[in-house]
Amino acid sequence: MDIDREFLKGSVSLLLLNLLSRGAMYGYEIFQEASRRSAQAFEFKEGTLYPALHQLEKKGLIQSEWRTGENGRERKYYALTPKGRKSARDYEKQWQHLTGAVNAVLGSE
Amino acid sequence: MQPAHRLIEEIVSSSRIPSARRRREVLRELQAHVEDAISSGVTERLAVDNLGDPREIASHFAWVYRKERAVLRLSVFLLSTIAVAGSIAAIVMAMKAGIAIGFGVPLPRIFSPRHTLIEAIDILSTAAAYVGLLSLEKLFDRRHFPKSAALLALIFAALAAVFSMAGRPWKFLLFGLVAGIFLRTIQVLLKNQAARIVVVPACFGAIGLISLRPLTVASWVVTGLGYLAMTHLAVRVDRALFKGLQQL
Repeated sequence: MDIDREFLKGSVSLLLLNLLSRGAMYGYEIFQEASRRSAQAFEFKEGTLYPALHQLEKKGLIQSEWRTGENGRERKYYALTPKGRKSARDYEKQWQHLTGAVNAVLGSE
Repeated sequence: MQPAHRLIEEIVSSSRIPSARRRREVLRELQAHVEDAISSGVTERLAVDNLGDPREIASHFAWVYRKERAVLRLSVFLLSTIAVAGSIAAIVMAMKAGIAIGFGVPLPRIFSPRHTLIEAIDILSTAAAYVGLLSLEKLFDRRHFPKSAALLALIFAALAAVFSMAGRPWKFLLFGLVAGIFLRTIQVLLKNQAARIVVVPACFGAIGLISLRPLTVASWVVTGLGYLAMTHLAVRVDRALFKGLQQL
């Protein structure tokens, strides 16, 4: 099912922080992991992932470093900062609260 | 990697990320992404398609780095104004000293502290208005000169109101605004440099005609020549500082 991009916009930070809460990842890995876990529901354009990551880094929620992989290829890995870890928990609580409230409204008919 | 490389170059070049180092890093990061996609079995064409619309990605980056861009522009404006105003003030004062000597006028009469201060403030204000116009023009894609002139007028009007309310002199701001817009108008309308060399000093000299004193007319002509030099210097200083600060 196609998801309205406006819905996705507000939840990108939550998704990225949640994915990175399980460990440092590089861009392509983040995208693949998001697609895999959502059963390909998140079909956003891959290039738009990077401005979102840079925005989170500027806010101090994630940090990055270049690492050389086993195949000799360099990749930029992103990892949560302590501030980002706290934000990830806060966003998740807000999301649970919001979806609970929306479900309550939708189910009340 | 040719189509992918072209696409990534397009994204980075239109991203308006102010730092050259950061642009290089984005380039590396996007290249690494495409390499990862290709090595996972995706064709280059599909990897490029999956990356998305380059204009959309660039506009997202532009939004993320908007504050850095504003800081860079403001820094260039301040440094350019100081550099240009300082250079032009030195040139104008030196030429006026030459005129004073030529007319047999004692130098202290020309360089009285009050007169020198007013002149320096006028030059600073004119340089700020002119360099400000150059900076503001970069904010607009179309009709940049009239739009930036209108925006500059609003900024100067607000500043003049603040100065006036604080009981500080504000008329020099008006002079600077008019002179700055006049100089830029001449530069935009008169493409012929020889014509500009005639028109600008003549217009400034006409202001001096009000006093009917040859020394005053000569002094205004010299001021006009100084400002004309400023228009050439400011564009180069602005460009050089912008490029230089981007490398930091």
